[in-house]
Amino acid sequence: MSEHPASGFWPLGGTSVKSAMAIILIDMQIDFCAPGGWIDQLGEDVSNTRAVIPPISQALAAARTAGIAVIHTREGHLSDLSDLHANKQWRTRVHGLGIGDMGAMGRILVRGEPGWQIIPELAPEAEELVVDKPGKSAFHQTDLEAELRNLGISRLVITGVTSDCCVQSTMRDGFERGFECVLLEDCTAAVETPNHLATLEILKAFGGRWGGVSCLAAFQTMLEHTDV
Amino acid sequence: MSDRGIRTLRQIHAEPYSFPFDGHWSSADTALLLLGFQQGPISALAAMPAFTTALDLLSVALDCGLFVAASRRVALPAGDDVARRRYAMGDVVPAEGPGDWTFPPQLILPDTALVVDHPGDNAFYRTPLETKLKARGIRNLLIAGLPTEGLVHATQRTANDMGFECLAVADACQGTSETRHAAQLRITTFGNGLFGTVASAAAVKAALTKI
Repeated sequence: MSEHPASGFWPLGGTSVKSAMAIILIDMQIDFCAPGGWIDQLGEDVSNTRAVIPPISQALAAARTAGIAVIHTREGHLSDLSDLHANKQWRTRVHGLGIGDMGAMGRILVRGEPGWQIIPELAPEAEELVVDKPGKSAFHQTDLEAELRNLGISRLVITGVTSDCCVQSTMRDGFERGFECVLLEDCTAAVETPNHLATLEILKAFGGRWGGVSCLAAFQTMLEHTDV
Repeated sequence: MSDRGIRTLRQIHAEPYSFPFDGHWSSADTALLLLGFQQGPISALAAMPAFTTALDLLSVALDCGLFVAASRRVALPAGDDVARRRYAMGDVVPAEGPGDWTFPPQLILPDTALVVDHPGDNAFYRTPLETKLKARGIRNLLIAGLPTEGLVHATQRTANDMGFECLAVADACQGTSETRHAAQLRITTFGNGLFGTVASAAAVKAALTKI
C-alpha cells in the first residue's frame, strides 16, 4: 500500500483537517526585508530576506486557496516605547539607528510607521489575523495562543524572518504550548547565512524536537491531498 | 559593602559587549540560573566538565550573595501529543523520583534557592520563575545548564523577551554536540547580542570576586 501524499508532512501523522491548520508569516515587514527599511538603512544585506518573498507568496496563495487560517505578525513597539526594554533599545542603537529612532521610513519598529508595515507583496487580507508583538516570540505578550485555541487550531506552518531570531523563538514557544509546528525551510531566511544554516541544523536534529522542518512543495502537496 | 550585604560588581568581559549593558549591577539584582543539571541528563550528555564548572560558579555566586534558581525537567504523568512524540524521539524526560530526575549530591543549594520543575525546555513556561525573580528585583541573569541548544537557549530567549539582561556561561553549558553548542552561542551574540551575552566562567568569577 503506497503512502498517502498528505502523510509525512505533519510530525504526529494522523488525519489532516484543514480547520485545525494555520500558516503564520512572521515579521515580513518593510523594516526587515524591503529596500529603504531599517535593515537596509543600516547597510546590511537584505537579499536573503527578500529571496524568500516569492516562495512565501506561493505558500500564502496555497493557504488562501485551501481556506486554512492565515496569520501575520509584526514586530513593533508603542509610540511612547513603554513596551521596549532598555537593553533591547541600547543594543540596536549601537548600530547607529535604534528602535524608536527616526529613520528614512519613520520611527524604527514603531507601530503605525511606514517601515513597520508588512511588505505590499504579502499584505494581509481583511479576514486574516494580524498579531502585533513587542518581543521575538509571536507568543510573548500577545493573544496568539488564545486566538489559535479559539479557532480550534493545533497545527502551525511557520514561515517568515528571521530564522535565527523570531522564527526560532516562535517555533520553540509553539512547541512548549503543545502546537504541532512545521517550519518551511525555503520560506525562511536570516540576514547571515551561517546563522540560518546553524539554526536549521539545530531544528532538524533528532528528527526535529520542536517540530518538523519541511518545504513549500510538500506543504502544497499536503494541502492538495487534504479533502476536509 | 553595605549593611545589607549588597555588593556593587564590575562589568563582566563578555561577547559581544561587557555585561550588563548599562554597567549597573549588584549582588541584589542578579541571579544565577542552573538549568537541568540532573543526574540523568548529566550522564546522557557526559556533561561532568560543564557541571563541575557550574558548581564552582555556584560557590562563588553564593559567597557574593546572588540569588540562585535551579530547574529540573520532569515528565508529566499525562503529557500532550507533542511531548509524547518527543519522548518517542529519544528525548527522555526523567520522571519525578530517585535517580535521573534528582540533582547530583554535589549540587547543594541553600534554603533560599528557588527550584522549579518543567516538562519542556523553557524554565519560565508554567512555572513561578518570572514572578519570583521580579518580586526580588532581579534584572540580570547568569545562565548555566544543559543542553545549550535546549533548556539554556529556550530559557534565555524567553528571559530576553521578558526584559532580563542575560549572560550564558559558555563552559558551564554543554550542547548535544560541540557544533550545536558553538552555533547556538554564536546566534546568541548576533546583532550586538539579540539574546544577551556570552562569557567564560573565569570571566564571571573575576567580576564576582573583585569589588
